[in-house]
Amino acid sequence: MVKKQVPDWLNSSLWSTNTPPPPPPPRHPSPPPSSSVADRKPAVVPEIKPAEPVKVEIRDPLRDGVSSSSSTDHDYNGTPSPTSSTLEDVSKQALLLQEISNKLISLSELRRLASQGIPDGAGVRSTVWKLLLGYLPNDRGLWPSELAKKRSQYKNFKDELLMNPSEIARKKDNSVSVDYDEPRSEGKGLLSRSKITHDEHPLSLGTTSAWNKFFQDTEIIEQIDRDVMRTHPDLHFFSGDTSFAKSNQEALRSILIIFAKLNPGIRYVQGMNEVLAPLFYVFRNDPIEENASSAEADTFFCFVELISGFRDNFCQQLDNSVVGIRSTITKLSQLLKEHDEELWRHLEVTTKVNPQFYAFRWITLLLTQEFTFADSLHIWDILLSDPEGPQETLLRVCCAMLILVRRRLLAGDFTSNLKLLQNYPSTNISHLLYVANKLRSHPVG
Amino acid sequence: MVLVLALGDLHISHRAPDLPPKFKSMLVPGKIQHILCTGNLCIKEIHDYLRTICPDLHITRGEYDEEARYPETKTLTIGQFKIGICHGHQVIPSGDLDSLAMLQRQLDVDILVTGHTHQFTAYKHEAGVVINPGSATGAYSSITYDVNPSFVLMDIDALRVVVYVYELIDGEVKVDKIDFKKTTTT
Repeated sequence: MVKKQVPDWLNSSLWSTNTPPPPPPPRHPSPPPSSSVADRKPAVVPEIKPAEPVKVEIRDPLRDGVSSSSSTDHDYNGTPSPTSSTLEDVSKQALLLQEISNKLISLSELRRLASQGIPDGAGVRSTVWKLLLGYLPNDRGLWPSELAKKRSQYKNFKDELLMNPSEIARKKDNSVSVDYDEPRSEGKGLLSRSKITHDEHPLSLGTTSAWNKFFQDTEIIEQIDRDVMRTHPDLHFFSGDTSFAKSNQEALRSILIIFAKLNPGIRYVQGMNEVLAPLFYVFRNDPIEENASSAEADTFFCFVELISGFRDNFCQQLDNSVVGIRSTITKLSQLLKEHDEELWRHLEVTTKVNPQFYAFRWITLLLTQEFTFADSLHIWDILLSDPEGPQETLLRVCCAMLILVRRRLLAGDFTSNLKLLQNYPSTNISHLLYVANKLRSHPVG
Repeated sequence: MVLVLALGDLHISHRAPDLPPKFKSMLVPGKIQHILCTGNLCIKEIHDYLRTICPDLHITRGEYDEEARYPETKTLTIGQFKIGICHGHQVIPSGDLDSLAMLQRQLDVDILVTGHTHQFTAYKHEAGVVINPGSATGAYSSITYDVNPSFVLMDIDALRVVVYVYELIDGEVKVDKIDFKKTTTT
């Protein structure tokens, strides 16, 4: 039920951006939520105005990261809509801003709003994700103290864990002896030897030695380095020779190293860099300067929170257990069977396309590799905000992905189906999310 | 943080069969960035073995080395330090501080690594530091039979060097350290 008639008061120049781009066709074939909130629009008008001037400059970080690869048809150049001034986005943005600016934010209300999609502008996504991941408390008054606490905690982690043993030893010495730089030029003589405590020498094989731990960690650090270099080579935000890209890579690297050191259980697994990248991107592009400069600390805690939900996917020992990746893939299979038995039968029985071949990457990397970067941000909006939880929602979205290409799958054999699923074609994300929504077992109002 | 291993006077296989196993277990590849060897290895197999620990190997010729083409002296720069290597049999009286200081001034280095005496020493004088890593196998020298196996590992970090001395005393590895800062005037 799309309202084609635009009321006159909404037709004013207040809503248009500076550069009039070719007007996009009404984006969503799915019934947009705006029809239900249309009544609320008049009440919301006064709030929009302050957001307006901010909007234009905010678009740039999102655009800049993508438009520099200026080839027009390149798949990665996909910000979904060239302008943020569509009716939907403006109203969504206004509602979200309003909810966030409450003193006490209702998480359920925020989830409801966010599950309809978060607009790209005005840094809304950054704050909403932080709230959804539990990084920011819902009492707005507590934000400054919470943020300060967490950020200083991260700084401590960095200082402690990123030092090499040489520096650690130097710090210890400096704290022990006060004046060391005394009569150096005292002429000749034997140099004085000092004792070593606790096996703290570079060739130590002792388990408590800082040196030994350091060398054991070098392997993991090398792996992290390699993966960080390979993250999103098409985006200027992450890759290239600019000092901006390098500092972003440095930040990713530090976060992953600290995570690996603090979590000896799962350390670092290839792919964590892909899960980290969108988080850091969103937080780093926050229009509020203070947030953008502390993006690394914020990202670290949100990453921990996000991974904790999916931790079992990364643990190799749990692969075959009830909570491991294999059983998650089986759940996906079951879901498909429930909703589309014909497709399920064709895929798994007739063409024998084992879901592990395609779903493994979909699930462990949270769909970051299947769509354009901007699209995956939209998918993550839904994953993070859905009250059913990211695991369940992810499975529904994967199932929807299969259903959307069912015609091609039903017509294909093993090779073509596998090829299709491993290089999933680009689709209309809103439609995909709409279908995923319909697959809910307990329909939400 | 650059780790530099200094050892020498192994005399394998003339006077000693091999490095002590406790030393060998510590010398694993991947940790050390440079090896400085004062000489008297003496055979090629040891050269190859040292190469496996670290590809960057600098050797000077000792009087019993079978490989005739090692240089008499060598200088290199690591971090902010200029380091010189020489076996030391050319310096007479052997082990004498003043003569070694002369050699150090000739080579114009901050740290001079020499051997020949098979005794660990670390001297300091105006021009810099002289380190003798001793004999890594504990081979007898022309002066004495009573030699403790020893070698030296230097941790070079900008203007500061921490010298770790590894000695095998009564079958146990004992480690000491020596701190040395370079005065910024030089």
